[in-house]
Amino acid sequence: MVKMRLLFKELAEDRPLLRKMAQRTAWISGVFALFLSVLLILNYLQFKTHDPLHSPALTQLMQQLQSDSENQALKEQIRALDLLARKAFFIHQWQLRTGSFLLLVSIILMLSAIKYLRSLERILPSFDSKAATDELLLDRLSSRRLVIWSGAALVLLAFVAGLLSENQLKDPKAVELAKTGPSLEELRQNWPHFRGPDTNGHAYADSLPTTWNGSSGEGILWKVKSPKPGFNSIIVWGSKLFFSGADEQTQSLYCLDVTNGNTIWEREIKDVPGHPSELPDVTKDTGFAAPTCATDGQNLYTLFANGDIACVDLQGNFIWSKNLGLPKNHYGHSSSLVTYNDLLLVQYDHGESKSLLALRKSNGKTAYQTKRNDVQLSWASPLLVQGSGRDEIILSATPFVIAYHPSTGKEIWRNKCMDGEVAPSPAYAAGRVFVVNEYARLAAIDIANPSIPLWIYEEDLSEVSSPVANDELVFMPSSYGTLTCLDALTGVKQWSHDFDTGFYSSPIIAGDTIYLMDLKGVTHLIKAAREYQLIGENALGESAVTIPAFMTGRIYIRGDEHIYCIGS
Amino acid sequence: MKKWIFISLLLFVSLSFTQVLQRFPKPDFQSGYERPVMQTPAPRSLVLEYLDVGVLLLVLSLTTYFAHRRRSRRLIFTMMIFSIAYFGFFRKGCICPVGSVQNVVYSFFNADYVIPLTVVLFFLLPLIFTLFFGRTFCAAVCPLGAVQDVVVVKPLSLPKWLSSVLSLFPFIYLGFAVLFASVGAGFIICRYDPFVGFFRLSGSFNMIFLGGFLLLLGTIVARPYCRFLCPYGVLLNWFSRLSRRHVRITPSVCINCRLCEASCPFDAIHKPTTAEIPEDKIVLVRRIILICILLPLMMVSSGWMISRLYVPLASVHPVVSLAEEIKLEDSGLRTEVSDATQAFRAAGKSTADLFAEAHAVQQKVKTGGWILGGFLGLIFGFKLIRLTAYRRYSEYEIDQGDCLSCGRCFSYCPVDKNGQTIIRLNTEVT
Amino acid sequence: MMSPSRREFLKSGLGSTALLATGGVAGFISSRSGTGDMVWQLDPNICIQCEKCAVNCVLSESAVKCVHSYSMCGYCDLCSGYLEPGAKDRDTAAENQLCPTGAIKRTYIEDPYFEYIIDEKLCIGCGKCVKGCGAFGNGSLHLQVRHDRCVNCNECRIARSCPSQAFRRVPAETPYILRGEEGMRFVKQIPSLQK
Repeated sequence: MVKMRLLFKELAEDRPLLRKMAQRTAWISGVFALFLSVLLILNYLQFKTHDPLHSPALTQLMQQLQSDSENQALKEQIRALDLLARKAFFIHQWQLRTGSFLLLVSIILMLSAIKYLRSLERILPSFDSKAATDELLLDRLSSRRLVIWSGAALVLLAFVAGLLSENQLKDPKAVELAKTGPSLEELRQNWPHFRGPDTNGHAYADSLPTTWNGSSGEGILWKVKSPKPGFNSIIVWGSKLFFSGADEQTQSLYCLDVTNGNTIWEREIKDVPGHPSELPDVTKDTGFAAPTCATDGQNLYTLFANGDIACVDLQGNFIWSKNLGLPKNHYGHSSSLVTYNDLLLVQYDHGESKSLLALRKSNGKTAYQTKRNDVQLSWASPLLVQGSGRDEIILSATPFVIAYHPSTGKEIWRNKCMDGEVAPSPAYAAGRVFVVNEYARLAAIDIANPSIPLWIYEEDLSEVSSPVANDELVFMPSSYGTLTCLDALTGVKQWSHDFDTGFYSSPIIAGDTIYLMDLKGVTHLIKAAREYQLIGENALGESAVTIPAFMTGRIYIRGDEHIYCIGS
Repeated sequence: MKKWIFISLLLFVSLSFTQVLQRFPKPDFQSGYERPVMQTPAPRSLVLEYLDVGVLLLVLSLTTYFAHRRRSRRLIFTMMIFSIAYFGFFRKGCICPVGSVQNVVYSFFNADYVIPLTVVLFFLLPLIFTLFFGRTFCAAVCPLGAVQDVVVVKPLSLPKWLSSVLSLFPFIYLGFAVLFASVGAGFIICRYDPFVGFFRLSGSFNMIFLGGFLLLLGTIVARPYCRFLCPYGVLLNWFSRLSRRHVRITPSVCINCRLCEASCPFDAIHKPTTAEIPEDKIVLVRRIILICILLPLMMVSSGWMISRLYVPLASVHPVVSLAEEIKLEDSGLRTEVSDATQAFRAAGKSTADLFAEAHAVQQKVKTGGWILGGFLGLIFGFKLIRLTAYRRYSEYEIDQGDCLSCGRCFSYCPVDKNGQTIIRLNTEVT
Repeated sequence: MMSPSRREFLKSGLGSTALLATGGVAGFISSRSGTGDMVWQLDPNICIQCEKCAVNCVLSESAVKCVHSYSMCGYCDLCSGYLEPGAKDRDTAAENQLCPTGAIKRTYIEDPYFEYIIDEKLCIGCGKCVKGCGAFGNGSLHLQVRHDRCVNCNECRIARSCPSQAFRRVPAETPYILRGEEGMRFVKQIPSLQK
């Protein structure tokens, strides 16, 4: 102990030796610090490029396991790789902590050594050589100049940056101005589209009739004969009711008074520019006037099986018409129209040319045409989701369900989940889209996370009729008469019921009641609940395939022969 | 009113707890199992936070005493090491007086923000000390300054033109920090704090890289952050100029021996000037008058320029950037959605409100831009006046604004307290 | 250009002004200040589990960790917070675990209940389990800033990058925003929110 103390004393007095030691310490710790810094930087870069917790190899193996779930060797491989990844992650963490601590220690050592060495140096006060006044003068001059120049440069920079910057937000009112056309509330007071104001089968009308009989006339306010064939459904705006009809020679629009069924006006659509001389291929299930009209409260828009599209105002005055090209469609074109702001949207899938078309409502000129040739022909109608967050127009076809931005036609997302010849249109509620086709599946897609379906269901699928959903449940009718109810979040089947007759018309949900008309024209009223409960069954007295229109206290149905107004 | 807010808050909270959707029922255990208790470690206790204020006060007082009374660089250096250890490595850098500027500004413009008293004290104590004794806070209390001071090895004297321009940056930094803090866009001083990563031994790569660069640079350019970036230093610089007592190079009288001439690594020592002004007095006066006339013009033009930048400046604010993203998506210009917009839409808030809020922020930034530009124009003008006007120095004098009271020059002075010249064999160089 | 005495006079005048101004600022600010401290916390009801908490903390092991409100847990066998979606077996094998670091301990309690405990040493705060639990379970797992780790930065880096703006400053006396019964003990103390 004493010896040690002596040794230290000797050491402390031996300045040259101490100096040498300090020099060495400074060098060694300096080099060590540099080495550690390089290591830490390399470690960081490696972690950045190969994050062990996001290993693509592991993700790939996991995907493989999804399809090959019994492969024991694969499981072993995953386990080994997972262990490796976790080890790598925690070793990296340890390296980071230890490395930075060691770096700190070595820097402290180096600095102390350097400080000590400096304290040994006898530093004589040095004199500043430039004391001369003219140099001072020159200094001030150049300083002034530089301050002025740098100030000017900054101002210029700000100016250029100001020129380049563009305010995307501008006046918040501008956003509202861009929206022309009726508000969502206005739409919901009417029945302006195929499958109602939201194009998803939701009816907002109240005091709806629950019992009627078309044969006895019970609960029927009026009944008029259909002037011309057409499988398109009735739309209603205010006190006017609209539909179209067409045969091989003529095509017309009709406006009826909702109070008594009297024809207010009737307009034949003729002399359409580009009107094709040949007739389109249609089947008797589709006819020449399958697409349902659309209205925005100002004008009425209609599309026929030959591609003639026309716009008249609600008084029947002609505004514009054009032909979209004769569709090559073996069943006949059947997708219905939707309006959005200043646009009329058409799902125009036919032959070799499939596209989402947007026409200006005012003049029919094309606003955009989004080609979608990677899908097959579809007979479904578009679903327009609007009013909650981003607006989307969703089109179902084989193999992709694709969402587009309605004002630009740009694609937002797509999901590969359809098969076959798609006729049912998508249903929507609470951020989830439900698409279905027979021999394919019913798939639920969360539009906030649309890449993978939430769930799929593969029994009693619908062929023509579109499903309908509320926040909790989905209802799907099939063309052979089975109605299935599933949980919207999980896809778990709640119940199913077999009816005697099949469905082509689609269910409409009003409050907690589902109105579903079968092929014989009998409307089944079913409680929208987790248990099956039939509220009533009302016959129309004739067969029907269209979708009824729901206004306050009234239901309008287009049967194969007549138009009915149900109410009291 | 307060009571009502409280009751509604309580109601809201209790509602939000009872309304939680329980998909699976609470299990009814048969085996006598008891649920574990969730551990909730408490944050650092309030007593310790006040202790920090106490330590700050103590270290400030000691450093001031060491600089003014003891005039000992060695003791100041010791305090530096303590500050690095305590405020730096132990307290991990937060809260520091430099960043507290923003909390103060934010609470000025945002009545909802309850600023902790400790933060107010951290902001005020160094200012008050500086107003009386000069920047002793910078000397050894600020861990950011201290960590740079200990790495000074061979400081170079910067040419005047360079330091004149560089010394304008703190004003710009401070101006923008105040602008952003006042509109609630964030605390940029903390965001770009270069040394806090060292104290925590972890941080983002960019932060550590910037800090490492400044420390390396600091071996030849003494305390680069303090002199050419620190926004709090602007306030301290002003206050130090007005300080009642400030450290001096000599304990009694200057004998113009020139020994201390190059001792200051921060170029904060003024040399004695020649008796007469080396330039034509009339030219000088004209020049100053010209600057004074141009001053309003400079202020207005730079105000206009900066206020025009309100769009990119405001987009630093989270609300504005979110609104811009939403707008981009809604207009279809961008098709992929971000987490932020998705979260916003999922929350079901109204976009109209968001746009209105974003618009309000933009307008605030626009107004703030005018004020900031005016301020910067004024600062540039003053700088030009200072570079034009002459001040006579009859002896070696400290520049009270730039001097950091680090105590390096003390030992160069050969005069003792009683005016006796003493000969020193060695000077302290720590 | 200015005589020393005039300079001194100006200086002392300005000095007093500065002192007064500082006093004014001090007075105004202390009227808005509270004696308590504020700390960062994230609101699990706003959190969207974007996984940014795991990487954006200034600490190399995030101060945000997953916590478990046992009072809300369903003790499910098929735990969507523990098991990888589509996992074939309900066991602790790596391919069935959702947690990337294996930080959740699954223990059998009694039929059909399983207990899930977070090992905070391993948890990186990515929130994968929180997402799973929230989507199909009771939502008993959630993320929280752990105050034994958080250094309480003046500007929280995670808060700045949080896409749902779930972070806010809360009084240090009620430093957690928890779900279930666990949260109640922090709610009772809300009077301290008042200045």
